[in-house]
Amino acid sequence: MEHIIIIGGGGAGAALAHDLTLRAFQVTLFEKGDLLSGTTGRHHGLLHSGARYAVHDRAAAVECIEENRILRRIAPQALEQNDGLFVAVAPDDEAYGTVLLDACRDSGIDATRLSATEALNLEPALTPEIRGALQVPDATIDAWRLAMHFFATARHNGARLHPFCEVQWIDTRAGRVTGVEVLDYRTRKTRTVKGDLVVNAAGAWAGRVAALAGIDVPVQPGPGVMVAVEGRATNMVINRMRPAGEGDIIVPQRGLSVLGTSLWLTEDPDEVTLPKEHIARIRETCSLMVPAVGEAPVRSAWSAARPLIRDAGASSPQQISRTFESYDHAVTHGVEGFVSLLGGKATTVRAMAEKTADLICRKTGHTAPCQTHTTPLLPWRRFFAAPPGDGPSRSRA
Amino acid sequence: MNKKIRLKIRRHRPEDTGPPRFETFTLTIDADISILEALEMIQSGQDPTLMFRRSCHHSSCGTCGMLINGEQRLACVTRISQLKEGTITLEPLSGFPLVGDLAVVMTPLYEDIGEQWDYLREAEDLGGTNLPEGIDRFERFEDCIECGCCVSACPVAGEEKPFMGPAALAALNRELQKRAGKGARALLKQAGGERGERLCSRSLACSRVCPTAVYPARHILDLRRRLRGDGQKP
Repeated sequence: MEHIIIIGGGGAGAALAHDLTLRAFQVTLFEKGDLLSGTTGRHHGLLHSGARYAVHDRAAAVECIEENRILRRIAPQALEQNDGLFVAVAPDDEAYGTVLLDACRDSGIDATRLSATEALNLEPALTPEIRGALQVPDATIDAWRLAMHFFATARHNGARLHPFCEVQWIDTRAGRVTGVEVLDYRTRKTRTVKGDLVVNAAGAWAGRVAALAGIDVPVQPGPGVMVAVEGRATNMVINRMRPAGEGDIIVPQRGLSVLGTSLWLTEDPDEVTLPKEHIARIRETCSLMVPAVGEAPVRSAWSAARPLIRDAGASSPQQISRTFESYDHAVTHGVEGFVSLLGGKATTVRAMAEKTADLICRKTGHTAPCQTHTTPLLPWRRFFAAPPGDGPSRSRA
Repeated sequence: MNKKIRLKIRRHRPEDTGPPRFETFTLTIDADISILEALEMIQSGQDPTLMFRRSCHHSSCGTCGMLINGEQRLACVTRISQLKEGTITLEPLSGFPLVGDLAVVMTPLYEDIGEQWDYLREAEDLGGTNLPEGIDRFERFEDCIECGCCVSACPVAGEEKPFMGPAALAALNRELQKRAGKGARALLKQAGGERGERLCSRSLACSRVCPTAVYPARHILDLRRRLRGDGQKP
């Protein structure tokens, strides 16, 4: 079977390595840092029901609810499955609740309207000022453990995973991509690795990776700030019932409440700035929904760069679609053997991998169907049961 | 605020010949940042090959445990202002095999933790009088993030040591509380076995360094009482 090289050890690379090994490809993955050291580990930890996107980004909403149902089945230990609420507080337009409810139903998302009293009976930490609520099937993700489920399963099935290995050059000399040159930080040595096809799954860093092959891809890093405060204020995810904006969500997780988020656009995904004013604004706006989170001590605040697909037509960063796309660079740039996976989000990594693996099957003339939606993932702890470094030496036909 | 800080970082990779060396980096910071942010500044501005583990940045993943001025802590929630003035020393967690620099292999931590042990538990009662439709009980992840700080601090646990260590015993006790009958008896047997509770030296170092308030020593005490009650240990 063809040897597929994946660049990027985040959620997308993890899910793709899993999908491709199930379809019997040989898989080698390189990540310049530790696995999951980029955006994936830093995401908010929301398993989207899709309701957040239902009104303005129908495609993303439908992707989210489909994946939400699948992940609950294949990785239940990585999820706190307590559902979520959208709550309206002054001065939110109450009519938006009806718009949202209709959009959820049109997207296939089970949404139930609750009175203010019903919502307060579920979550007494909500402000008594709420005007109404919608129950939706949101959940909390353990960002690192969910992705490690994919890595554990991929490695068990033969994927070779190489953290701390930076791809420094993509070989296009033959008029097509034939392999990569990798610097291994552990040995400080470079080596050449041949592959039949190279996949750029570097997320917000995809622009840099594509540039190694002389290709420009339309990735737009979009950082946002998250604030984890002490105390589990609610058990359900709490969303603000208004169009997507800043400081409109509280995700409980363990003994923390994680508040988010903001969004700006940048060119440098390594931008580690953490604007103080964002932290203050997010705490303040989230406390309009749950007053306790405004007073709670901050455990940590951080930012993470979303891997957005550039969209010059979007009226604001929040309007950029959160969907994903696989690009065959033979079609876009006349470079054979190179594919980029752009966009997407933690909730949809499995679907991102499916679509990309489908493309790889078409390009290599295989018809192996996707199995990831019905294959339970191995527990993340399995990853640590095997010796570190390369996967099992078992070779695949 | 405009402050210079110095970080002395142990640089060693398993394939290096010669003794481990320390390298000192100087940073100018304009706010009270975390050790993890300082490491990221070094990585993006001075040495991209500096090896360390990180993921969630808020003490949920458990990847960034290291020795900070000799103490087991998470880099992401340790702030410069919490440390004494002067050069900050960073070393990898002791008791684990080295990947390189500050990154270690977590395999020894998991040796005695069942991969299927339940990571979810019933969430605390927040005073709600109803549950949402379709939800039988509110659940949440266990507090233990498997960071390895307790194992590293334990005087009798670690790589190639016979003791399963405080993380495994704490996880075992949590699992025990969720099981009954035969499953529980098998777990108790494991706790009372050769790698189990009997090797704990009661230093309490595990509870002292735990960044997420699991207090493994309490779980070990629980197990000790139960084992005695079960007559498996004099």
